Amino acid sequence: MAVHSERVQTQSPGSGKAAVASTDEIVASGAGRTPKSGRPAGGPRVPARLTPYLLLLPAVAATVLLLGWPLLKTILVSFQNLNKRQLIQHLTEWNGFENYTEQLGSADFWRITGRTVVFTVVNVVLIMVLGTLVGLLLNRLGKKMRLTLSIALILAWAMPVVAATTVFTWLFDQQFGVVNWFLDKLGWHSMLHYNWTSTQYSTFFVIILLIVWGSIPFVAFNMYAGLTTIPKELYEAARMDGAGSFRVFTSVIVPIMKPFFLATTFLEVIWVFKAFTQVYLINKGGPEDLTRTLPVHAFLEGFGAQRFGAGSAIAVLTIVMLATLMAYYFRIILKQEDEL
Amino acid sequence: MKRQLIAAVGVAAMVVGLAACGSDGKKNDAGSGSSSAAGAKNYSGKTLTVWLMDGSAPKGWTDSVKSEFETTYPGAKVDFQIQKWNGIGAKVTTALSEGSVDVLEIGNTQTAGYAASGGLLDITKDKDALGGADWAANQNESTVLEGKQYAAPWWVSNRVVAYNKDLWTKAGIAAPPKTLDEFYADLDKLKATPGVADPIYMPGQEWYTYFGLLTTEGGKLAKKDGDKWVGGLSTPEAQKAFDTYKKLQSYSATGPKDKDEATPQQKDVFGKGDIGSIIGLGWELPDEKTMAKDKIGFFPLPGKTADKASSVFLGGSNLAVAQASKNSDMAKDFLKIALNDKNEGLVAAAGSIPNKAALNSQVAGDFAKAALPAAQNGAITPNTPTWTNVENEPNPVKDFLTSALTGDYAAAAKKADDEIAKRMNQKQ
Repeated sequence: MAVHSERVQTQSPGSGKAAVASTDEIVASGAGRTPKSGRPAGGPRVPARLTPYLLLLPAVAATVLLLGWPLLKTILVSFQNLNKRQLIQHLTEWNGFENYTEQLGSADFWRITGRTVVFTVVNVVLIMVLGTLVGLLLNRLGKKMRLTLSIALILAWAMPVVAATTVFTWLFDQQFGVVNWFLDKLGWHSMLHYNWTSTQYSTFFVIILLIVWGSIPFVAFNMYAGLTTIPKELYEAARMDGAGSFRVFTSVIVPIMKPFFLATTFLEVIWVFKAFTQVYLINKGGPEDLTRTLPVHAFLEGFGAQRFGAGSAIAVLTIVMLATLMAYYFRIILKQEDEL
Repeated sequence: MKRQLIAAVGVAAMVVGLAACGSDGKKNDAGSGSSSAAGAKNYSGKTLTVWLMDGSAPKGWTDSVKSEFETTYPGAKVDFQIQKWNGIGAKVTTALSEGSVDVLEIGNTQTAGYAASGGLLDITKDKDALGGADWAANQNESTVLEGKQYAAPWWVSNRVVAYNKDLWTKAGIAAPPKTLDEFYADLDKLKATPGVADPIYMPGQEWYTYFGLLTTEGGKLAKKDGDKWVGGLSTPEAQKAFDTYKKLQSYSATGPKDKDEATPQQKDVFGKGDIGSIIGLGWELPDEKTMAKDKIGFFPLPGKTADKASSVFLGGSNLAVAQASKNSDMAKDFLKIALNDKNEGLVAAAGSIPNKAALNSQVAGDFAKAALPAAQNGAITPNTPTWTNVENEPNPVKDFLTSALTGDYAAAAKKADDEIAKRMNQKQ
């Protein structure tokens, strides 16, 4: 993974726009292709050559220990029939692909997968659109308002997920929720004791609102950070050529910010796809399992029902789906690099 | 530069995100400190780890048991560890696997499951020494699997109707009802009384109450058909029990149909003072400060006729020794003390029903006195290893109640029966 992250660092938008490319060249040659400058001509001594790897070592060790090992165990467990009995008696019962065939042959699994995909798409579209708009707004605001908005965004972002979810469950509480109270005051009297977690769509509405609210700051700040790197002259030039605001966005901002959009979208896809806390805490996948998404499914099957093998198989399948998406992302990245 | 930083941070986050999806079933808890080589009856320097559930052991019981045990066996120590209910299943499994617990409290509907999983020590030989000859038959049922004794019954408790005496007086009701029809009439009176929000507060997923009504009608949640389990909610008995349940629930204007009695805690709801009655356990009552004890009255949920109250779910706890315990002799001696008549009497005095009928006279408190007669008609869920699968969240019986209250009975029953059968016939 370290290799890939370097690649992302060095790659720069292959947009092909002449005006943009010139500024990019400077950035790319400065940060990326190091051999030209900086190193002594005779080649580095051995310790110096080792330094980068030594510096990487702690991070790699932590990753292997905290992520690699559990991942390996999960994969191993997914090929076992491991329930309460086997766990207590320390029995290892390998059962080949049985957990996988059981899941892949189950209508529930595919229904949940389809639901998770739709859930992810809705969330990511909302997050990207609203986050981008807030980012653009940040760029255009005056100093004071920008500071105010930034603080508000940071507060939303800094809120621990569990705390935020708890607050949302109270906001949307049937009896004491301020949302119902407010809707009632506004004239929707039937909403006074509306039960938000009683149907699939209203429960999803609350969950999506929570996730989108919590994710906008990340996109907005990144967008704003990216926008500050666009020189003013580019906007001026575009305006001179008669471009309106929308045209400036599509022809100047989008090409320059393409890597940002790609990276952020893929990040959000992964974050939303695996969102567990919000979905589980709002209504435990209810009513009647209708808001059960893949990570919640893995947890309820694995820990809830103590069928650790089946739960692990679901987790591994989730990882495979996300890895497929990642592969697609890296393909785009690598392609762009080739074009340079 | 900023852009590249963003990209780098992003990729790092992706890596973290991906791997965090996986989760491992096993958790390494530290084992208990004691080692083997037990000198007979000399437990000096050893510590017995005992797991009790949050809010379960009556006040004074733990102190009494601890001092009696530590006096009888000088130098030995008892370490009571109170466990939270949240996620208890996986925690107990881990503890039984690692041997980090010696004696543990297990719910009576869960005991068969853990016995079959090999986690509990067979204590058939010790039954008599523990006073097993006198155990109440309907309590001991849950501790036996295939003829072997895997736990000792500790206590049970059952739900009764708790009512707000002030509101009932205000509604002009002189005495607690003796039949369901009288109860409905009282609830109607309460409904017409100003200041009463709910004549009875009853969330839609109060499946223990439904279980009692089902037992009254002679129905069962699941029955064995050959060597397969089938759900019992599509039967006429289940439908009749549900009609009663639905009628009672319809008196609860504020009770959410898709929640159980713990969300929100019904004691908090009842404590607000505008709720006529609830159906609950002894500890599901407001504390003395919120509502004075003498303001709350109790009666068992009536049956159709005055001679027999509705049946109840006989929930309770057993005490078991872990198979992996390194102190099993000490654990058995602990059980002898923990379950002796003196300590079991404390359980009764605190308002639970003790494991011996002879101690019933020691049952104290208005709640327990109302609960005791109904306990005779009490029953528990099918005593089989796979029953625990049904109680795993999301519990299909709870979902069934919500869907049947808000929609079509037959479809809801069919769906729940399928899920019950699927879970009970699952491979172990």
